[in-house]
Amino acid sequence: MKTHKVEQLVIATVGFFWCFLMWFSTAAFSPSIAAHYHLNIAELGLLASSAIWMAPIGRIIAGWAADRFGAPRTFAIILAGCGLVSIASAFTSSYEVLFIERVIVAIAGVSFVVGIQHVAQWFDASEIGTAEGLYAGTGNVGAGVGALVLPRLFGLDYQGAFLWLGVIALALAAWYLWRGEAARHETARHTARQSSDLRGTVFVWTRYIAIALMLAYAMSFGLEIAMNAWLPGYFSRGFHEAILALGFSSVVGVQIAAGTFAAVQSFSASLFRPFAGFMSDVFQRRGWTPMPFIAKTLPYAPRLHWLAIALILITLSMIALTIAGLAGSLPLSVLVLVLFGVFVSFGPGGTFALVPLLFPDRPGVAAGFIGGVSTAGGIVYPLIFAHSGNIHMGYLYAAVTMLIPFVLFYFWAARYERHPEEHGLFELPPPAAETEKA
Amino acid sequence: MTQETTTQTSGTPGGWYRYGVMFLYLEMFIAIAVSAYSLYMAFTGKGGFPGKH
Repeated sequence: MKTHKVEQLVIATVGFFWCFLMWFSTAAFSPSIAAHYHLNIAELGLLASSAIWMAPIGRIIAGWAADRFGAPRTFAIILAGCGLVSIASAFTSSYEVLFIERVIVAIAGVSFVVGIQHVAQWFDASEIGTAEGLYAGTGNVGAGVGALVLPRLFGLDYQGAFLWLGVIALALAAWYLWRGEAARHETARHTARQSSDLRGTVFVWTRYIAIALMLAYAMSFGLEIAMNAWLPGYFSRGFHEAILALGFSSVVGVQIAAGTFAAVQSFSASLFRPFAGFMSDVFQRRGWTPMPFIAKTLPYAPRLHWLAIALILITLSMIALTIAGLAGSLPLSVLVLVLFGVFVSFGPGGTFALVPLLFPDRPGVAAGFIGGVSTAGGIVYPLIFAHSGNIHMGYLYAAVTMLIPFVLFYFWAARYERHPEEHGLFELPPPAAETEKA
Repeated sequence: MTQETTTQTSGTPGGWYRYGVMFLYLEMFIAIAVSAYSLYMAFTGKGGFPGKH
């Protein structure tokens, strides 16, 4: 079959976009579901949290499956499975059954690592940052588009939305199977398949640099999804008087204003992510290595430096959010939040421009570990924010107790001038092929 | 399985790259435009993007 890597990128991106649309479609219709089944606040919170449940473990399994069975088969199974359950949920009249079905549909969120593996198997080292950024950034927009478009398209008819989302997912699954190719070269495909054993998985999980990238993703994407959930409540409580002063007098008005400020972060974080991957490519081409302590002679060293800059900017903007909040300035807080949204996109873009280059023989296993475990950040950060006494201080506490240690660990793990993946909790010899490529 | 692709050397990005970069600039423009519009709506008390209050 004739194909081109751009076609493979488009297939992966469209599949991922649709999966993200399905992933967050429950949240988009939670008010109408709550009204239909007379849910209380606690039940509504449980429904909202259902989207994250399957992500950590599901992404680990999906990454391994992409290496083992190939991205097209794995992605098609996710699309078809989630699509069928989405269709079933459109005809469900019991809330308990509906809840279980929507948790299963939320498995669509694990597709991220499958597409990362797919793109990594097709693009060259010189362009991997932009390719992975375009895939992940454009696909991520599916979450925001779902929140904006679905309620306006279907109104209160969540059953109709779930039906059509499922039907189109089945069509996309068929397209992925028909046109998708697992890798550009059969040797790369064969290597990934052979490397997806338990020893290879243990090797990736115990490398300091893999743990550092997992923490980098936790302090960028993990923080991004945590802020998506946290920010509407933060603005409506932390700046209630300032929002009333803008003319938003009703509860609905305050909710719209707070949601708008929060959406700015989500929108920027998704749409600037391809730029972050592009910047990683630019650093690589120009050989920029400005940071102290971090390796400068590795083939991908400039990309390590770009990610280090991103992590420092995220930490500084979190501290700035506390300062702006304590100053009581709504405009300043929103301005810092816009910058935070841009900086937080640099982390995921920079991380997944590195993962395929560090672990070229097992991109799926590495992406599953780094992109999976880190999503637990979406649960941990709001807990810190909510238990900090002063609502503005939570960002500072999170920066001091989590982000700064993560950044220091990254600097420590990325200091090796030769094969950082050789260094880990256990002295496992690296696979020969990875040593040659690194 | 036989595949036919346009392969590049690993040192230089392929011909698709400039179109990819154009697309990412478009995405950045959309992010800035939507953010600016929605913040204008919010700070003038008119509502959020794209709804009203």
